[in-house]
Amino acid sequence: MAKTIDQYFDDLRDTRVWRSIFRSGTGSSTLKRALAIQQNVFLHLFSTKVRTRMLSLSATWYLGTLTLGTFVILVATGIPLMFYYHPSVPQAYADTKDLQFVVSSGLFLRNLHRWSAHAMVFLVFAHMFKVFYRGAYRAPREFNWVIGVILLLITLLLSYTGYLLPWDQLAYWAITVGSNIASAVPLIGDKIHFLLLGGNAVNANALLRFYVLHCMILPLAAMFFVAVHFWRIRKDGGLYSHASEPATLRAQTAGDSAAAAKEAQ
Amino acid sequence: MKEKLRSLWQKLFGDSVRAFGVVSFIFLVSLAVAPAKNYFSEWRHYQHGYLRMIRNRSDANTLQRHFRGGIQQIWLPELDVVDRCTSCHVGLKEATLADVAVQPFRTHPVIPHKLDQFGCTICHRGQGAATTVAEAHNSTLAWEQPILPARYIESSCGECHRGPLPGTPVLNQGRNLLSRYGCVHCHTVKLPDGSTMKATDDPPSLSHIADKTTREWIFAWLKDPQAYASTATMPNFKLTDDDTRDISAFLIANSAPLPGDTIALSTKASSDATAGPSLYGESFCASCHAVQNAAGNLVGGDVGPELTRVGNKVKPEWLQAWLRNPRTYDPPTGMPHYRFNDAQIATLSPFLLAKTDSDLLANVHLDAATPEQIAHGKRLVSDYGCASCHEIAGIKKPEAFAPELSHIGSKPITQLIFLPGMPHTLPDYIAGKIKQPRAFSPGLKMPQYSFTPAQIDALTTALLSLNDRSNTLPPSLAVAAIPESDYEPAGKAGKLMSDLACFSCHRINGHGGDMAPDLTWEGSSVQREWLVRFLKNPGTLRPSLIRRMPRFNLTDSEANELTDYIMTVYQSPAVDRDSMPLSGYSPGQVELGKQLFYGKYACQGCHIVNGNHDKGYIGPTLTQVGSRLTAAWIYQWMKDPQALRPGTTEPNRAMSDEDARVLTAFLMMQKSGAKQEVAKK
Repeated sequence: MAKTIDQYFDDLRDTRVWRSIFRSGTGSSTLKRALAIQQNVFLHLFSTKVRTRMLSLSATWYLGTLTLGTFVILVATGIPLMFYYHPSVPQAYADTKDLQFVVSSGLFLRNLHRWSAHAMVFLVFAHMFKVFYRGAYRAPREFNWVIGVILLLITLLLSYTGYLLPWDQLAYWAITVGSNIASAVPLIGDKIHFLLLGGNAVNANALLRFYVLHCMILPLAAMFFVAVHFWRIRKDGGLYSHASEPATLRAQTAGDSAAAAKEAQ
Repeated sequence: MKEKLRSLWQKLFGDSVRAFGVVSFIFLVSLAVAPAKNYFSEWRHYQHGYLRMIRNRSDANTLQRHFRGGIQQIWLPELDVVDRCTSCHVGLKEATLADVAVQPFRTHPVIPHKLDQFGCTICHRGQGAATTVAEAHNSTLAWEQPILPARYIESSCGECHRGPLPGTPVLNQGRNLLSRYGCVHCHTVKLPDGSTMKATDDPPSLSHIADKTTREWIFAWLKDPQAYASTATMPNFKLTDDDTRDISAFLIANSAPLPGDTIALSTKASSDATAGPSLYGESFCASCHAVQNAAGNLVGGDVGPELTRVGNKVKPEWLQAWLRNPRTYDPPTGMPHYRFNDAQIATLSPFLLAKTDSDLLANVHLDAATPEQIAHGKRLVSDYGCASCHEIAGIKKPEAFAPELSHIGSKPITQLIFLPGMPHTLPDYIAGKIKQPRAFSPGLKMPQYSFTPAQIDALTTALLSLNDRSNTLPPSLAVAAIPESDYEPAGKAGKLMSDLACFSCHRINGHGGDMAPDLTWEGSSVQREWLVRFLKNPGTLRPSLIRRMPRFNLTDSEANELTDYIMTVYQSPAVDRDSMPLSGYSPGQVELGKQLFYGKYACQGCHIVNGNHDKGYIGPTLTQVGSRLTAAWIYQWMKDPQALRPGTTEPNRAMSDEDARVLTAFLMMQKSGAKQEVAKK
């Protein structure tokens, strides 16, 4: 009888190379499967066990996962975009023109980056609304909500810093307006404005600053907080479901016992 | 139907594996759009078209060899040029493709520049970096400058070439119009070399206007200057009757009499009806002034004002004083001081005063001005910026009365307000503003000019050349204009020369007009006796030109004074006047020169030495050249005419010293006296 695909995979998992990489070993027992998650540096952030119903669309609408998906697209398209881009005046604008007209599929790359960025901002908000209206921010998940707010800010800052990089009129004036809003802060507003732009007006320094923020600092910060965010999901008891919350369960139990008591009477 | 759809849904998305497969397939197809779009690009389409087109041509092999596929670009970092136009315009450099009707494959017309040195967008504007037709040619949200319409193309020449060029008539005309129509009185135009464009229209002072003309004429003139003279450069301010009445009241009230600018003549005019016209002709008034003839055509020059209806304008006493000496009324005027005697003035002025148009002032009836009207008139004169052009006693010339135009050719479209229905481009905006300035907003003060469409195009061209690039050009690329020098001759002779307004027509040391020959080296060129004679009674030198040098009635001492000055000061360092004798050449030399003249060099093609058989009329007549020019000048002229007078049509024949010497000998024998002797015999 011919081997099934699963059997080929089992053979692969038994090889020495595989075993040297994945410590958990083979086998489909609950322990082995839990170990496979727990002992992987990437996967160990996630819960070792998830209820099947939490994977249905209605539970989360996959909003968090989709947000992560757009983030991955943004990193994947952002890196090749960096190959073609000089954060200098006025070469930055010429580079965006080259991406549009000369680089193979450059326009596709740029548009994918741009639309994913828009989608990410939208998804982050949708994710927060869902969490808010479902009450998933409540104990014990308060801190993960705070992490989420930080991630919202990072997302918005990524979007804002990326807006300057094409160095066109839209970018220039958007950042001029945006940074002037910052200078409305009482007392230290002008200092913030100066710090943000590396000068008193949007120019080469601002472009370089925004480039470094957009391509280095903010993505790293986002990855860091995303890691914490995921880790806290696991630590705070997995994905939120109203039905499985302790309070609901308690109320249910209480309700049941009350009913039982009534019946007993 | 519904059932069918449901079964289709089941087939495609029935279980998760199918759904995954289908979604993956759709995703793959949509991803494939990107490389497909990349491949089926416009420039590749045009390159294929080009290869198909050249296949059947006789020069296919050469063209094929020159062809380079892929995106082409001209990159000029110092000019900030990245032009990819040649990706589609493949045949631009192929001279043999001039006959191709299909664009973008035709060759570029012959121009003095190499495409590789300047690219395309320097002249044509548009977005050079683009590789699609729409983005490259038309203005989009991400590019300010669409392609420049061909009729304004010379504006791009003007970015580097600050002076006039033979190949850019439209640009030259536009620049002249900016100066001549006084645009730069109100609009400051700073040129890239740091200078400011100057007006050449010389608007008259209005401080003594009541001596010269009447309030009725001022009224008619202000209402419509072109009704008085079609060539008037004064624009129409579209004033109401009341405003015109008040401005004329103010100007008359504000005018102060000037001593000596009106005279009453005791001499009576001669009764001969032809005396006036013939004096007008003899004095060559028409060299500068035009008059409309019966057919409605203008006859005469455009240096001075048109005189068709001058009788409606000037007062007789003023005209007489003006003819006697125009410098009394207007010291810097370009009109020469003719030194007419009273009899001549009495002859000329009635002739001029008879040039009237009975319709012009027929309907102008003005009551005596009230103080309120005068005050209102003064306010209007300030509001309309009259003093930007005219000197008016008691009113200061306004500073920066109208917007500066030094960078108008780069004005962002976002800063323009267009009229409804007008194409949203900068050239259309500029042309529209010149054509109908008041249409853009009711409160605007810019007056209505009566330019022809060609003049509007020329002005637009000149204004478009005033842009950011022309102001930030690398100095190595800028071709400076020859600056107009402010040369003024010194001393008594200098005074005489400005009194005679020599510089209205002649150019000396880079200063003056271009109607008559440049006199910078006149002292090396001519003989003293001839010059004295010429100044006293000028004649023409060239058969193809009408004589235009007027007779100024100079006294002997004035003629000698002027001649001495010219002979001493206007000498060329290249010509030593005394290095060759004026006469005494051997007959052998003269005969040899004659043979060269008629044989080897065929000078008679352009010049006349013997009026009986020579037919040349391009160059000056040489029948008396031996009495006119110095031998040294003739010799040097033969050797290299362009060195003595740049731009002259006389060809450089690269003569040997010996040829030049014998030709000089021959020409020096052509003396006025010699001819008379022949006649006597």
